[in-house]
Amino acid sequence: MSGNTILLLPVMLPLIVGIIIGFIKNEKQRNRMVFITLAIELALVVYFAMTEGSVTVWHMTNRLSIAYHIDGIAKFFACIISIIWFLAGVFSMEYMKHEQKPARFFMFYVMSLSTLVSLCFASNMMTLYLSYEFMTILTFPLVIHTQEPQAVRAGMKYLGYSIFGAGLGLLGFFFLNTYCITTTFAPGGTLNYALVGGNENLLLLVFFLMAVGFGCKAGMFPLHAWLPTAHPVAPSPASAVLSGIITKGGVICIIRVTFYLMGADFIRGSWAQTALLCLTLITIFMGSMLAYKEKLLKKRLAYSTVSQVSYVLFGLFLLTPVGFTGALLQVVFHAVAKNILFLSAGAIIYKKGSTFVNQLRGIGKEMPIVMWCFTIASLSLVGIPPTGGFVSKWFLAQGALSASLGTFAVVGVGVLMVSALLTAGYLLTIVLDGFFPGNDFNYETMQKKEPNYLMTIPLVILSVAVVLLGIFPTGLETFINSISGVIF
Amino acid sequence: MNFGIILPLLVFFPMVGAILVYLIGRKNKEARNNWACVVTFLTLLGAVLLFGKHASFSIPGFCGLGLNFDGDELRVVMAILASFIWFMTTVFSKEYFALYRNRNRYYFFLLMTLGAILGVFLSADLYTTFIFFEIMSFTSFVLVIHDESEAAIRAAQTYLGIAVIGGLVTLTGLFMMYHMAGTLNIDALAKFVAIQEDKRAIYAVGVLILFGFGAKAGLFPLHVWLPEAHPVAPAPASALLSCILTKSGVYGMLVLSCKLFLHDSNWGNLILILGVITMVLGAVLAVFSIDLKRTLACSSLSQIGFIAVAIGMQGLLGSHNTFAAAGTILHIVNHSLLKLVLFMSAGVVYMNLHRLHLNEIRGWGKDKPLLKFVFFMGVLGITGIPFWNGYISKTLIHESIVEYIEILHEAGQATAYMQSVEWLFLFSGALTLAYMAKIFIAVFVETNPYPDKNAQHNMGPYMNKLSAILLLLCAVILPIIGVLPHITADKIAAASYHFMGAHAPEQGVHYFAWVNLKGAVISVAIGSLVYFLFIRKVLMAKDDNGNLVYVDRWPKGLNLENKIYRPALLSWLPFIGALFARLAGSMSDGFIALLRMLIFNDDSGRVIPPEDQYFSAYTDSDDDKVVYGEGFAKSLLMIGIGLAVAMLYILL
Repeated sequence: MSGNTILLLPVMLPLIVGIIIGFIKNEKQRNRMVFITLAIELALVVYFAMTEGSVTVWHMTNRLSIAYHIDGIAKFFACIISIIWFLAGVFSMEYMKHEQKPARFFMFYVMSLSTLVSLCFASNMMTLYLSYEFMTILTFPLVIHTQEPQAVRAGMKYLGYSIFGAGLGLLGFFFLNTYCITTTFAPGGTLNYALVGGNENLLLLVFFLMAVGFGCKAGMFPLHAWLPTAHPVAPSPASAVLSGIITKGGVICIIRVTFYLMGADFIRGSWAQTALLCLTLITIFMGSMLAYKEKLLKKRLAYSTVSQVSYVLFGLFLLTPVGFTGALLQVVFHAVAKNILFLSAGAIIYKKGSTFVNQLRGIGKEMPIVMWCFTIASLSLVGIPPTGGFVSKWFLAQGALSASLGTFAVVGVGVLMVSALLTAGYLLTIVLDGFFPGNDFNYETMQKKEPNYLMTIPLVILSVAVVLLGIFPTGLETFINSISGVIF
Repeated sequence: MNFGIILPLLVFFPMVGAILVYLIGRKNKEARNNWACVVTFLTLLGAVLLFGKHASFSIPGFCGLGLNFDGDELRVVMAILASFIWFMTTVFSKEYFALYRNRNRYYFFLLMTLGAILGVFLSADLYTTFIFFEIMSFTSFVLVIHDESEAAIRAAQTYLGIAVIGGLVTLTGLFMMYHMAGTLNIDALAKFVAIQEDKRAIYAVGVLILFGFGAKAGLFPLHVWLPEAHPVAPAPASALLSCILTKSGVYGMLVLSCKLFLHDSNWGNLILILGVITMVLGAVLAVFSIDLKRTLACSSLSQIGFIAVAIGMQGLLGSHNTFAAAGTILHIVNHSLLKLVLFMSAGVVYMNLHRLHLNEIRGWGKDKPLLKFVFFMGVLGITGIPFWNGYISKTLIHESIVEYIEILHEAGQATAYMQSVEWLFLFSGALTLAYMAKIFIAVFVETNPYPDKNAQHNMGPYMNKLSAILLLLCAVILPIIGVLPHITADKIAAASYHFMGAHAPEQGVHYFAWVNLKGAVISVAIGSLVYFLFIRKVLMAKDDNGNLVYVDRWPKGLNLENKIYRPALLSWLPFIGALFARLAGSMSDGFIALLRMLIFNDDSGRVIPPEDQYFSAYTDSDDDKVVYGEGFAKSLLMIGIGLAVAMLYILL
């Protein structure tokens, strides 16, 4: 072990405490423990985000090692992840009261945070790959939590797809190990051009397969099919982090491979870029369209994730600084907005048990705070100013137009707009029904069903964040520019 | 004193006020109503303060690109107009909404919309315009749907749908414009467009941007929401929609036509054609309508068409566009003032009767001289009778068309096209007279053969003193502008020349010279003919008891929204899209199912893991039982735990 050993703390802490949490029977104690752990973890991550450092845990061979470091991408993702994990954790304390086996849920919930932080901090492909696999395995119990046949089947599907995707990633890793000078991440890529010469197409194919494989986690076509099956069956807070955060695990891997191993210059203008852009555009449209047609609320939100996370991938594969900025902004705003939506859906299920969108008439009168948060998140996903979604869409579209892709750029912008329209179609209709039930709505039988503060406070914090960050995105933008300044 | 700070205050003060008023409203309803009036009044004062100061203000970094406000005269005139009308309707709302549900919501969104619309009018770059334009679309939506009746919900959905689509198309245009020009500042864009050699791309982008603004203004073919949404909204809100919200679209058109495509005849022609169609279509729809507020809404459509014609003429006339420019701004102002009076009067009718169908409200205003007077002022104004304000602006627009015909004539070019525009213009003016006569005579002159016992008189006056004074005040302004155009209208027109790139006229216009009166006389003559020969003969019929009643003769099939837009957007396109999406979506699952059938099935004689029924059981059917804890899942879990232990061992 060499380097800044203390860097292991944010990785190890949730892992160890998580196991302990699994054995705490008393609900109050357990909740306190979860709260404290997540808070300390958040503090640790924020603390490390202000420093630099690296640590090598174990040298497997001279080329392969388990090592962590902190760079821009690590800071960016780790902060978002731990903030949202914390808020969704607070929400779960109330929500899990109506589910079985809360101890097991919190155990895996806390433990999977460690794999995510590990994924963010990973400084080479080996560590990244291991964290990625562990993330899949540790989040699996969250998916099958209810243990209903449907959930188990969905869990198996999740596992199957994820492992297949990771397998493609591993395949690529073998090639990269040969063709790269080192598999430690370096901005701009580490390809050994002496070896690459003549094998460009092979490497592009490898890149394409890796992107598709890791894209599986991000719900990219063609390996997206697990997502709409697995997200809705999990308990709502779990779906929220699955949709909002775990999908970003795939995004991190793709960023690392694209910008830190392959290098944007190698891929720019190649068939692989075009093919991947096509895949993301297909996903964007397909996800929105299927969400529009879906009647089950949580499944609709899951399809929406399929579409929205591909906005991120679209921005990344544009390989321009503006597109990159748009992509990372979209990461933030989608993570926040999707969490709001899933947590609201959870609050509705918790209080009313409604799972279908047509059961939500007049819900805005019964749960005004929850539905206001839902509305703000919806507006952000559609991209209505002054919410965050508008800003990220602006950068994505500018990125597309400035990527010198010819008419393809216009098609891309067109697809983004059609998808935004569909997003309005599948989210705002819920809001309309919720707030404007019509004058034949029976106000007498209506009761206030607002959930308690454990549920509303996380929702309100996230909603305020999505608006404030939308109005004042300059800080985020500067930070992202500092990352993209290095990698391009 | 630096007046720049007033600009963002004008925008954000009503929004903050909205929140305060909402909080007050939870405690005390009366106080809330008064505070809402105070907020709008202060906003009006602020707007008036700005006049002639030409202030500007920027908030860098807001929403990414930052906000830029500019207070040149035209923008301030629009802002004063907006906040004046807002103030009037807010005061009027007090009585109108006395018995309504959800009033807190109404006041909140009313003030939010005020802030947003001022943001649109005062914006110095299209980014700012767009941000507030979108906010405005959503907040005003709540005003439209306020009644929550079935018709209101449907109309509001159409409104929102068109607003969202329009917003997205405009946004696409803005993306491209920003990409091409690197800025969205309106003045900088004007310079950028002026030096372009090949304008085809810019025209395309311009049309995209126009889409959203045109939709909000009610320009054909995106007008469908307007005749539906305006009548169903509560009267004060309809007044705002008709008077001001449509003008936000017009403002966008002005930015495009007077800044980006200044003196561009191709662009002018496009706007002119759309304007003429809207103008005639709106008027025809209004003639056929048998609902008081719907007639007024269709009339708004038609009047927006007049404004668009004026904007189009500015483009065609190039640097001779003084009359057209003056006509544009004056018709914007006049139409707002007129519709304020007319919609508030309609509001008074609805407040008492809760009905708007002409046969049902017929004769109700016969014995109400005050309301009759007020409404009559509005009728005279909007039909363009000399000495009322509508006449001034219509004359100017007409004058600009005549001027262009003369220019064409001198240049020896064909004038048939422009002459037909002139005739359509006069014809629409005539129809205006016809439909206004129709509703005025129905409500205030005729007696109702079937008086509604229930609706008549719930004791007390039909409106309170405050509303009466308000209406009277608004009505009196109309003839004042009409009689004294040189000290009222000309001043407003002069304020806008800078924005519209027009020169001040060398000499004042002789509004009441015979040349100009002639147009009005022609319109009145044709209008009377239409009223007596068409409306009284065709659009009214004897019912079973032999009484003449109003009938709806508009063919049901002739409805753009129900026959094309709704089916296309709600069934045809989603069907194709969903077909594609379903195919793509089930591809990977289908592939696995195929493999399962061909390779991993039990019959093939191959060795397969016993647990495969779970691993490959990707279908969502519930037929096969799954035993958790056995099989593949458990194996994987065990592997995971093993790996975790190994990891721990390595790490520690």
